[in-house]
Amino acid sequence: MDLWVHIALFILLAVPIVVLGAFYNEQDDRAALASLPRRLGVFVFSCALLTAVMLFCEHTFAAVS
Amino acid sequence: MDLGLPPAPCGAAFPLLPGDLGRVLVEPAFRITAGESLAQANQRTRNRGGEGKDANLATLLTWLIPGAGHLYLGKFGFALLAFVIVDGIFLLGFTISGGATVEFLDPELRGRFALVLTPEAGNLGGLLWIINATGFPNIPVAPRAWPTWVMEGGMLTALAGFLNILVMVRANLDARTTSDQRRQSLSPVLAVGMTWVLPGLGHWLQGRRLRAFVVFVLLVGTFAAGSFLCEGSNLSRERHFYYWAGQFFLGLPSLLTEIISGRPLVTGPIRSADAGLTFACIAGLLNILAMLDAFRYGESKLLGESEGDDSAPRRPSVAEVHP
Repeated sequence: MDLWVHIALFILLAVPIVVLGAFYNEQDDRAALASLPRRLGVFVFSCALLTAVMLFCEHTFAAVS
Repeated sequence: MDLGLPPAPCGAAFPLLPGDLGRVLVEPAFRITAGESLAQANQRTRNRGGEGKDANLATLLTWLIPGAGHLYLGKFGFALLAFVIVDGIFLLGFTISGGATVEFLDPELRGRFALVLTPEAGNLGGLLWIINATGFPNIPVAPRAWPTWVMEGGMLTALAGFLNILVMVRANLDARTTSDQRRQSLSPVLAVGMTWVLPGLGHWLQGRRLRAFVVFVLLVGTFAAGSFLCEGSNLSRERHFYYWAGQFFLGLPSLLTEIISGRPLVTGPIRSADAGLTFACIAGLLNILAMLDAFRYGESKLLGESEGDDSAPRRPSVAEVHP
């Protein structure tokens, strides 16, 4: 349950981060909004990849059990 | 008194105001040419846009002392105004807080550069004043009661830091543009300042209504969600020193929420405190991005640039402007 809540909160926070990033990079509003799906996908996928790497490192090098 | 001025044209009015007198005495480049009144000379030199001064140096000087950059640019009136307002607010805040704001930081976090991550760092002179006056980071750990207005004092010293950032932006632009240019479009400084007052307001004033609406809804919504998740525990600099610094940049919405809510007490465990703090802090940090966006758009308008338009005149580098 907690995992899904955290994923939902992450997605919720990812939206303003991605939108503001798009606005900063694109001066044209339509171009910025059109690029949102791709940007959001890249952001979420990159964060998921980073999480996987961190979990792997934690499991391999830092786990005490 | 002989000021070394060339003779004024016969019959011309020659009102020597304090600011003008200062320009004549301090600014070697300021000259009144034959057949020109003092007012005309003032207008002519002001229109030259920084008069060959270095914009980066003007910005750095302002960071050290509010108004110093404008003093360097020969704008004595604005320099004095900036100094009085920024350092006035800073000193008022420091006085009523008794300098105790820095004691909010946990002792184990009090490193030599720990205060660099606070809004006060926008006013370097003020920050050094705090360090010198309080002895930070070597503050005695003996507990003491906070002064009555410690929270409000902390807000004012932080506000002084942000205001000085605006003065730095203004100094930079004043060195790179002419007064004629500055009159023709909305000031980027105003756009940045208004984005702090209310996220999206700067964009709205620039005529970018859709962007303004989206920025406002997302940032204020994120801050509200964060405050809800951590049950208002984010609304205290004493409780969360660095998170508060982040959400301070959301501007008036965060400060007013803090004041109106009266900083709710924490009476038990808060399930989503970490998530709420992250939301509120990121809302403030993203508003910095919104301010940078407002500034860049305003700067492009001011300098007659159009992004992605190759036919538009290219902005000259500092080296080209000041070889």
